Amino acid sequence: MNKTSLFTRTIYISIVVMLLAACATPAPTVAPAAPTSAPAATSAPAATSAPAATAVPVPQGPKEIVIGAALPLTGGQAREGAFYKKSYEMIVKEWNDAGGITVKEFNRKIPVKLIIYDDKSETTTSVTLYEKLATEDKVDFFLGGYSTALVQAHVVVPQKYQIPYVGGGGATGTIYTQGNKWIFGLLANIEKLSITFADWIEIQQDAGTLPKPVKLAMAAENTSHGVEFAKGINDRAKAKPDRFTIVMDEKFEINGKDYAPLIAKLKAANADVFFADARVADYTLMQRQYTEAGLSHKVVSYGPRGPEKAARDALGAASDYIVAANWWSPDMTDASSKEFTAKYKAANKDESPEWFAALGYESARVLFKGIEAAGTLDKTKVRDAVAATSLSPSLVVGGKVSFAATGQINNVYIMTQNQPGNKVAIIFPNELATGKAIVPIPKK
Amino acid sequence: MPPIEILSLLISAILLAGLYATMSYGLALIYGVMKIVNLSHAGFMMLGAYTAFVLISPVYGIELNPFIPPLIVVPLFFVIGMVLQRFVVRRVVGQPMITSLLLLFGLWLIIQNIAYVVFTADTRTLTIPWLLQPIRFDELRISTNRTVVFAMGALTLLLLQLFMSRTMLGKAIRATATDPDAAALVGVNTARVQMIAFGLGIALAGLAGALMSLVYSFDPDWGRSHLLKSFSIVVLGGLESFIGVALGAIVLALVETFSVPLGVPIALQDLMSFALLVIVLVVMPGGIMGLLQRRT
Repeated sequence: MNKTSLFTRTIYISIVVMLLAACATPAPTVAPAAPTSAPAATSAPAATSAPAATAVPVPQGPKEIVIGAALPLTGGQAREGAFYKKSYEMIVKEWNDAGGITVKEFNRKIPVKLIIYDDKSETTTSVTLYEKLATEDKVDFFLGGYSTALVQAHVVVPQKYQIPYVGGGGATGTIYTQGNKWIFGLLANIEKLSITFADWIEIQQDAGTLPKPVKLAMAAENTSHGVEFAKGINDRAKAKPDRFTIVMDEKFEINGKDYAPLIAKLKAANADVFFADARVADYTLMQRQYTEAGLSHKVVSYGPRGPEKAARDALGAASDYIVAANWWSPDMTDASSKEFTAKYKAANKDESPEWFAALGYESARVLFKGIEAAGTLDKTKVRDAVAATSLSPSLVVGGKVSFAATGQINNVYIMTQNQPGNKVAIIFPNELATGKAIVPIPKK
Repeated sequence: MPPIEILSLLISAILLAGLYATMSYGLALIYGVMKIVNLSHAGFMMLGAYTAFVLISPVYGIELNPFIPPLIVVPLFFVIGMVLQRFVVRRVVGQPMITSLLLLFGLWLIIQNIAYVVFTADTRTLTIPWLLQPIRFDELRISTNRTVVFAMGALTLLLLQLFMSRTMLGKAIRATATDPDAAALVGVNTARVQMIAFGLGIALAGLAGALMSLVYSFDPDWGRSHLLKSFSIVVLGGLESFIGVALGAIVLALVETFSVPLGVPIALQDLMSFALLVIVLVVMPGGIMGLLQRRT
């Protein structure tokens, strides 16, 4: 066998091995969040509260309540996933420091063991990991993941294994209308976001700062999130053609690396308002290319995106005046929000929380309160207790968590606007406003 | 459509063509000289982008002027390319094409996976404030960063053409590309020429990545769709000609840019380049340069 032939065969074999390795599904890599499960002394004082007369022994119960989640800690949604992780860890530590969750059935507090895996922002990995949590880690309950596409895929797992799931990371209404009785979401649906935006536009029109009808250019993710987003505006435009004219209605792929064709189409549309539904990374790139192209509109919005620190740092003044509709803001002045913001900053080196962190925290709090209300770790009873949640005060907009029959919250949105000097003002609703909207955007 | 809009679209198309041409030169050079399709071209573009990111972004604290990274990337990637050719690629020259395809595809995967480990899968965006501001002429708005990339691409083409036509090494490269046996007979060290050409091709890929990092976002998987577009451009222009590459880039950029106001959905934009590839392969396999040469 000559040397060249041997070398060539070696190359072939090496390439086949590399291809197989590259095509293999990556294994989950993140270890459980061990620091959070600092168990208190949990040898249960078994009989101390047993009724004297009949001496029925109180069951000891488990050593810990195991709660699991798969989050995007790497990949396109890593930044958002990190907020959820920090919040989950923070609340688990908070409750464990106080002894854990009170479970009446066992007459004691039981600490929480939190397991978080990294789904790498990949849908199939997310599903696999929730299955792993259910079958290998045998979790008692689930906390939610992020984002819509991943949540939409992995919520089949809570239904399959009948494990209650409470999350603050998937807003699309279709997640909750499939008859799945085991999932609960703290984000109001996306159609409501569009409706809120449309309501706000009408207020601006009545104030004379926007024309009637307003020419609206719309761009939405090519996902169910984007479909719901577009529906809200399209329905409003059909209902009120004297107020809204849709001059562009385009879909784009998420995690895009170039939005120049979309920007070119936007330029040609000659709109008054540009309204897009985008994730943070896509918003950052789109707004960058929008600015490079020298475009300007009276109002620019990327749906729930706008005030994120990473985007503001990357875009600088190019992110000024962007309007967002959101589920929470660190600028909210109610007591619950202020308390959460202070706690989060103290636990995370003064990092300011974004809505991902707040809704993650509150989801966990709803679950823990639900377990306490049920008085047992029986999954069906906990599920029913969570469904009946009426939690107030709460940091969610409106101050109260309660779920519709679908398991999704239906609270109002707030709207914010980025303002010069790295400021963010809450501009709607009036009772929560911290500043005045600047409409139209000043021309450069 | 008002004349100002047509002019705006035309300028956008020309700027885009400059970008497309820059990302295709390396592929054309390596194929022209060595008759191998460099599938690792995308990986080196991605590495060029990350190199620029490390040198420019405040994340790493170096924060060079965006004009400096190309000057670092070109010689660095040239050396990497030469080393690769000498110790790896040279062994498959003359073998069936499938061997080199698999080898370079595997190299691409290795580069990609190393990038995943070092940089993670997070999408990166380089935003330089002064590049965000467009150039304004009355009502016309021209993207500054695309103009910068176009200018550097045009300069690259000029330097490449001068190098190929006015230097002994350039002529040796052209001779080797035309007929390696005849070149060897007249004293050209074809092995050395191929090494240098491969190095140049990798340097051009890295340069393209460094420039495109100012325009696009990227992650370790970035480069895949650009590689496919580069194929289309190289085939469209004629496989072995830099001028052909530039012409192919112009045609593709014009088709993509003007399809937008004609109502072609944005989701079908990438389809343009692949449709053109198929049409050219069927109708004029020699590309535009082949067609022009036949006519003259």
